Amino acid sequence: MNNLYEILKRLYIHLIFLILLGISLSLYFNTTYYQKSQVGAVTKSISGLWHKQASQVTGLFQLQRSNVLLLLENVRLRNEIEGYRLKLQMLQDSFMRIEDTSGLFRYIPARVIDNSINSRHNYITLDAGSKDGAYKEMGVICKNGVVGIVSATTKHFASVISLLNTDVRVSAMHKKSGAFGAVSWDGMNYRRVVLDEIPLHVNVAVGDTIVTSGFSTIFPRDIPIGRVVDFYNKDGSFLQITVELFADFKTLDYVYLVDSKVKSEVDRLQTMK
Amino acid sequence: MYSDILKYLGLTVILLLLQFLVLNNINFMGYVNPYIYILIILLLPYRITRWMLLIIGFALGFAVDYFSNTLGLHTTASLVLAYFRPVILNRWSFKSVQDIRGVPDVTNTSLEWFVVYALIAVLVHHFTLFVLEVFTFKHFWLTLVRIILSTAVSTFFIVIIELLRAPNKMSR
Repeated sequence: MNNLYEILKRLYIHLIFLILLGISLSLYFNTTYYQKSQVGAVTKSISGLWHKQASQVTGLFQLQRSNVLLLLENVRLRNEIEGYRLKLQMLQDSFMRIEDTSGLFRYIPARVIDNSINSRHNYITLDAGSKDGAYKEMGVICKNGVVGIVSATTKHFASVISLLNTDVRVSAMHKKSGAFGAVSWDGMNYRRVVLDEIPLHVNVAVGDTIVTSGFSTIFPRDIPIGRVVDFYNKDGSFLQITVELFADFKTLDYVYLVDSKVKSEVDRLQTMK
Repeated sequence: MYSDILKYLGLTVILLLLQFLVLNNINFMGYVNPYIYILIILLLPYRITRWMLLIIGFALGFAVDYFSNTLGLHTTASLVLAYFRPVILNRWSFKSVQDIRGVPDVTNTSLEWFVVYALIAVLVHHFTLFVLEVFTFKHFWLTLVRIILSTAVSTFFIVIIELLRAPNKMSR
């Protein structure tokens, strides 16, 4: 017994250490992170006050760096705003057209997912289909003017006969005089189409605007097509006018499908007579 | 005796404030955090009983943990240091230069001795601290680098503080 006491006396300091170590380790491993964060919550309000003061001082040293970062961010935001402004303009354009046509037409936005300009029979594929309200023989325009006519639709996609297709004829009008004819592509230059059937007496000048006539119900009236760059007397009674397109078919992206609310009505009327 | 206790308490408060308000916000190079509060343990008198030393180490570590949301982490490291302090002192004691009745501070010994003493103590403390903190051997080398860098920085700060403290004491 005495012996045991001696041993304890010699080892007690190590025992105390082990006991305390056990307590501290179990404190460390048996408390969750949440419990740890709750400890000292009272003192945090005090240290928070200090941190606020301290950060005001340390913040001074970071001003230079902050300035550069803010500058970069500014540039980025500015660019972003320009992008949005462009999109807004596009949207406003389409809304205004909806109002212009007094509710006879509705526009469905779509994106070009396939396009060609180098064939004589060019087609465009759009990401809007019958699900979005697209149907055959709808007009397609972009913010610069006429693009083409829908030839077929599936549930999610629409195929469009491009204006740059020698099979397409679109009813068009010389804006200044109101004389109308038909625009078609000769299969040569993707920037130029030909307007014929304009009588000789019409006073055409280079730079005049050519727009849609609105006769066909495919396109609303006054959708821009292009500008006159050349004209000549073709066969004694009509002018052949070369028109430079406003729409750049090489960079088509967002387009609008023209949904004519009165198309079926007009078509029915026309077949009656 | 009581004035000594008050002195230690005052030093503890100052060191803890310095620790929390300044040093904990430094974070050199992302992973070096100096801990200077262990200077308290270093400066306790030679003659202090070992169980007292353990209790103080435990309490000090617990106080640090309480303020830094790391329940048990500093308690363990500080306790381990308190346990090994007599061992360190016996191994690296230069009986000829130190007054065994006093405290192992820089005025009582020499600067070189104190630097070695602090370095070893800090190493023991930081080793426990960082190994316990990561508690894995996965990032062994990173942990080792952290231990070495933090030890160097902590020792530097401790010696600086001790040198700033020393003239006060000598003039007294």
